[in-house]
Amino acid sequence: MSDHDDHLHPPAPMVDEVSEFEVLELAVRELAIEKGLFTQEDHDRWTEYMHTLGPLPAARLVAKAWLDPEYKELAVKDGVKASLEVGVDWVSGMPTQFGTPSDYCNLRVLEDTPTLKHVVVCTLCSCYPRPILGQSPEWYRTPNYRRRIVRWPRQVLAEFGLQLPEDVEVRVEDSNQKSRFIVLPVRPEGTEGWSEDQLAEIVTRDVLIGVAVPKPGVTANAKRPVRKAVNPYGH
Amino acid sequence: MNKPHYDREHHVKKATGIGDPQCFKGEAGKPKFNVGDKVRVRDLPDIFYTRTQGYVRGAVATVAEIVYESPPAENESWDNTEVVEWFYSLVFKMTDLWPDYPEYFAKDTVETEIPEHYLEAV
Repeated sequence: MSDHDDHLHPPAPMVDEVSEFEVLELAVRELAIEKGLFTQEDHDRWTEYMHTLGPLPAARLVAKAWLDPEYKELAVKDGVKASLEVGVDWVSGMPTQFGTPSDYCNLRVLEDTPTLKHVVVCTLCSCYPRPILGQSPEWYRTPNYRRRIVRWPRQVLAEFGLQLPEDVEVRVEDSNQKSRFIVLPVRPEGTEGWSEDQLAEIVTRDVLIGVAVPKPGVTANAKRPVRKAVNPYGH
Repeated sequence: MNKPHYDREHHVKKATGIGDPQCFKGEAGKPKFNVGDKVRVRDLPDIFYTRTQGYVRGAVATVAEIVYESPPAENESWDNTEVVEWFYSLVFKMTDLWPDYPEYFAKDTVETEIPEHYLEAV
């Protein structure tokens, strides 16, 4: 007889904890529906749409830009137009057909060079190019990352395993208005003769945010170490 | 008593099929600053909402790009969208923002977008 027969196990809670933000979101959503700003069906459609999004189109954009100098020029000049070729229509592809305040329609593709490395953050909230990258990772939205990346970028990048020499300029792109950003990294050595599919595989979400650089053989995001915030200069 | 009528759809009508900020194109006139200009971010007072970060206020930057036209977020959040301005992508040197940023990483920068009325020529 197993020990499960002689006592009751209470069922596990459906959710561990409902945060204040979730309560707030629900309250605002219900008010908006009551006021007729949108319907429950609109909300369902939008939520379902959001869950179909991911970083694959952006990886494809980078791979195409590595292979085609003309396309690279277009991507850097007009990210919205370049997105069309990888199947993302910023202006009329979404259910609302104009973007939402958290997904405005101005994509800028930040081109890295051997002496310039971009990394993206939103210090004020959590702006993220969701139509082309999907939902942001949890760490991207934490105050820890948002505060420290503009203050001690090299230390934060080192935590992600990215250590850059002094002659490389680190440029932190603070996404604070209506532009959204992805990083177009330098094509790594050892990828000569690769196809677009092969190249797209090594362009991970972390590479597109800028906290990692592409490496042959690395096709997944590194696990983010959870560390307490340390002020490196003894503040 | 009549209930006040709020036009909650004017933004949808303006932006659908065009995009935001694209729907404000051509409304801001001539940009006041050019790429390469040195500008200082003014520390203007804001009521409840701003998207001009505290850490760039008072600092000097270089205009990297003139990006688009839009009402500033500080007004748009109150639904005041009549005044449309140019937005500039500014590059700040880390060593200008943080006094103890190490000199050997003096090349490091922050880039961010600020609307025109926050800027003054240096």
